[in-house]
Amino acid sequence: MLLILLFALTIKFMGQAKLPYIRRVPALDAIEDAVGRSTEMGKPVVCSFGIGGFDYWTVAGLSILGYVAKICAETDTRLIVPTGGGSETYITREAAVDLVRNAYTAAGRPEAFNEEDMPFLSGEQYAYTPGYVGILVRERPGATVMTGSHYSEAMNIAEMANGVDSITITAGCYTSNMAALACASDYIMLGEEQPAAGAYLSREPAQMASIRVQDIYKFIAIGTILVGIVLVNVGSDIINRLLAT
Amino acid sequence: MAKEGGIYRLMATYDKRWVYVVLFIVVLGPLINPIGMPIGISALTKNYYAQLNTLQEGDIVFDTWNMEFSGYMELKPGVLATHKMFIEKGVKLCIAFGHYEGVALPGEIFKQLQTWLDRYDYREGEDYIIIGYVFPNEAAVAALAQDFHANVRVDWKGNSIEGTFLDDIQNAGDFDMISDYTTGLATTYMINHMVLQYGVPMVENSIGVSVPGHLANLDAGLLTALLASTRGGAELEYLIGSPGPGLKSMDAFTLGHYSLMIFIIVGNIGHYGWTRRTGAKDRTGIK
Amino acid sequence: MTVLVVSFLLVFVPYFIPWGPLDWLSGKLMTIAAVTNAFTIVIAVYSQFRRSGRFIREKRKGWAYHIYLLVLLAIMTLSGFILGQHAGAYEWLLLAVVTPLSSVIYGILAFYMASAGARAFRARSPQAALLLVAGFIVLLYQAPLTGAFFPGIEGAATYITNTFGMSVSRMFSISVSIGAIVLGVRMLTGREVAFLGFTEGEE
Repeated sequence: MLLILLFALTIKFMGQAKLPYIRRVPALDAIEDAVGRSTEMGKPVVCSFGIGGFDYWTVAGLSILGYVAKICAETDTRLIVPTGGGSETYITREAAVDLVRNAYTAAGRPEAFNEEDMPFLSGEQYAYTPGYVGILVRERPGATVMTGSHYSEAMNIAEMANGVDSITITAGCYTSNMAALACASDYIMLGEEQPAAGAYLSREPAQMASIRVQDIYKFIAIGTILVGIVLVNVGSDIINRLLAT
Repeated sequence: MAKEGGIYRLMATYDKRWVYVVLFIVVLGPLINPIGMPIGISALTKNYYAQLNTLQEGDIVFDTWNMEFSGYMELKPGVLATHKMFIEKGVKLCIAFGHYEGVALPGEIFKQLQTWLDRYDYREGEDYIIIGYVFPNEAAVAALAQDFHANVRVDWKGNSIEGTFLDDIQNAGDFDMISDYTTGLATTYMINHMVLQYGVPMVENSIGVSVPGHLANLDAGLLTALLASTRGGAELEYLIGSPGPGLKSMDAFTLGHYSLMIFIIVGNIGHYGWTRRTGAKDRTGIK
Repeated sequence: MTVLVVSFLLVFVPYFIPWGPLDWLSGKLMTIAAVTNAFTIVIAVYSQFRRSGRFIREKRKGWAYHIYLLVLLAIMTLSGFILGQHAGAYEWLLLAVVTPLSSVIYGILAFYMASAGARAFRARSPQAALLLVAGFIVLLYQAPLTGAFFPGIEGAATYITNTFGMSVSRMFSISVSIGAIVLGVRMLTGREVAFLGFTEGEE
């Protein structure tokens, strides 16, 4: 029943003419400042969108990549996008290349787009990692933006980015490494902030509707938890039995 | 001229390479020359040990190695100790990999278990069957959970599994337990399609960073037991009375943690002293 | 899109409504999906050869590394196919080359985590001090020697992990799960087509 409600709400919000309100995520300001700093210092910006397939995080990561590409195109800053890291990145890479190319074209600078600045490093996570780290060490970017789905390699990359004095902005998608990323990064988008940032930037009704539906469900979850706490304390386990599989 | 902040500045802004050097020394030293420090046994490991002890001879366990070789290095003590328990109890194992690197693991693991294999006459094909890399994605996990023999007909060497103990397995619900060693590969898919669908009890041996996430699964009843990383493996080795690589590395583990704590304390003393001395509100950390 | 919706229904419905023929069809579809997915490796190898071939022909920056990559790819593939995955050569390549390299990258994480932790755990504010104390307790517990001498540390550390840590983890799992389902709805209704290879305006 909850699933049916989820489906219905998503379709309802996607069809609405008025876009739901989403607040601006603070990390987006940090991205703008970081790219500005890189432009002033004459250093490139490195931005990656994850090593996963077309999942929840990669879609958000691609939106943020499009935003970074737009700023870099407008400010004439070199953008490097390391791609790869997973078997499904052969597909997501093509979407990323199109996205960055379109961003440069929209900014009126199609000639500035260089596909060689989007190297495919490897289809394997631990082969992608040293390639990414090598790019950071050689190019010494002013800003490193690591969004999308990154797993254990994120710590390697964030710490090395910090080591080359790059402003490091990451997004934690993997519970296990979020704490470590928070230590290693200058700014971090925790959990839902990444898809919210992606939706805010893309202004796509579907993405914004997703964020709205998730928020509604979070309120439902909070309400259920509170009701459950009260009921358990008075001796009723009806909520447990309802939610148990 | 003395630098602003003096010794406190030095303590607050030490080069991070000192952390690497000290960590390297305190980890390498005990590995070469073990000290033999005592360890405590956690409640998690005691529960894991108790769950494995519920198995009877002839029970069929789905033994899933959802780890790459790099993850195996961390999970090795738990993997070896758990398999020693399985061999001793005479359970039947159906071994599957969640990563292509799993191809190299049986050679490594069973080489180290050779004494136990010989002692209990534990044989491939009769007591354990390796079906190979069968979990490339969620669809494969779901398919295998639903109809085992439609998806697996031969073992990893091409020998038919007909006429073996796997004849009794129609779907995931026919396994008595799932024993998973994970770096996070197909584990969630297995919980979704095997545990939730068929109610198979599942025990987990997980890398350290994934433990907080798996604790939620344990608390929700999706996992019946959890073994936490190298330390959990070392504790299990102690409980089964078979010291191995886990216990050997606990000295290094302890000293590594303590050295990190010392660096944190030094950094905080430096930070506090520096801000007090100079009156500044904030100081950055290591260079 | 029709194929997507039918495939989804064939897998989704039997999960909740068990019915023999539907279960059989669902199982077959998932088996086909698993096999098809395996063939993407073939496509990946082919596209890697094409891409590297282009780099080598045009002598672009780093072209020599592409020759190195193709040679290693060929050696690994051929040794596995011709000699078999259980043969000495293939296993040796895996154990002597691939596994130490991936183990090193994984092992180096420990040093990076240590330096990041030593840098981040500074009591710059009351909240940071609280985090520092909690982190310290958990770190102390993680060192096995502490538990041997101060058994009470387990209670404190597991309390922190099981209340604060687990609640965050659960919250995260709920959010991600809902997000993934909503993404699925977007894909099924045709509002998300990037995974099919289309970009904006190309649908």
